[in-house]
Amino acid sequence: MRKTIYQYVYSHNDEILNEWIELMRKEADERAIQTMSDHMFIKTSAEFVELVMSNFSESVEAFHDRAIEFSEKIVRLGWPLTMMTDGLRVFGQIVEDRMKKEGNIDHNSYVEFAAEINNWMFPMYKTITQAYTTSWERTVSLQKIALQELTAPLIPVFDKISVMPLIGTIDTERAKQIMENLLEGVVNHRAEVVLIDITGVPVVDTMVAHHIIQAAEAVRLVGAKCTIVGIRPEIAQTIVNLGINLEDVTTTSTLKKGVEQALTLTSRKIVEVQE
Amino acid sequence: MNMRIPILKLHDCLLVSIQWELDDQTALQFQEDLLHKIHETSARGVVIDFTSIDFIDSFIAKVLGDVISMSKLMGAKVVITGIQPAVAITLIELGIHLEGVMTALDLEKGLEKLQRELGD
Repeated sequence: MRKTIYQYVYSHNDEILNEWIELMRKEADERAIQTMSDHMFIKTSAEFVELVMSNFSESVEAFHDRAIEFSEKIVRLGWPLTMMTDGLRVFGQIVEDRMKKEGNIDHNSYVEFAAEINNWMFPMYKTITQAYTTSWERTVSLQKIALQELTAPLIPVFDKISVMPLIGTIDTERAKQIMENLLEGVVNHRAEVVLIDITGVPVVDTMVAHHIIQAAEAVRLVGAKCTIVGIRPEIAQTIVNLGINLEDVTTTSTLKKGVEQALTLTSRKIVEVQE
Repeated sequence: MNMRIPILKLHDCLLVSIQWELDDQTALQFQEDLLHKIHETSARGVVIDFTSIDFIDSFIAKVLGDVISMSKLMGAKVVITGIQPAVAITLIELGIHLEGVMTALDLEKGLEKLQRELGD
């Protein structure tokens, strides 16, 4: 029976592919199709069908490797997992319908056919789902690392002066990271003044302010001065309205002013060179 | 065994470098020793260096805070230097801000700062 199915699928490869693409277009998530061109869709679909076909001819390990390779590509293209499981189901459906229509299976051989199809499909479902989720998890963990690296960079701009630009929302986890990077950086770069730039922080609530004040205090303990720069008008309003006390921390509105202040603190200034 | 922390005199300053983790007894002993030394030498400044300390608990932190306030009462300015990032985080989390205490990155800068503060 397996051989019959294989031979059938093999000899009707193109027709099945066309029908599959047709059906998938109808069923698939709009979003998934919109993100890629027609040409790409057909090419990827052909690859998918080829992958399914290869399950007949290749060993389990070889199929597994192929499935992983294909899944990685799919994840990069942004196709959802349902697209792949649906694809398999549709593929089975097409084969069954066509073989029935053309008289390759009748009532008697149907049970055998169904069992064979199941045996063929289930390991494939398993492998594909597994491969897809593995690639997906890897992508997510890579992004997590990238995000962590972007969390809180400390940039030494002048001798003794470093800047930490903060962009995006600050939560407790990130605040911890900021504090660690800040202190490690101060000690490593031997900074005397650190400017924390909060221009890119959309909201400063009591919690964020608390974290920033703590960071500033900790910087003072390791022996440097901390200035908070980039306080926008709306942030100044929220801070005062919330009754947050930033009296003990130096603040300025822009990074430029902050740098000037830092230079004064370290008894230096910028002079224009006379030609 | 009870280890005493050495306190060195340098002109009109006292120099203390804490080289190992303090236990409660040593910390209290240190408090006593430092105050006596200030009295003896009538030092005007004290530098306490923490570079080799990676860990601090709440009791030690409190004792240190006390020592600093006591030294001030006796007319000696205190600069603490070389607090490690981990220690700074612990102190802040314990709510010990050591307000009004001068700090510096290392011993060298600490001494400079003290000289400037003492005004000569």
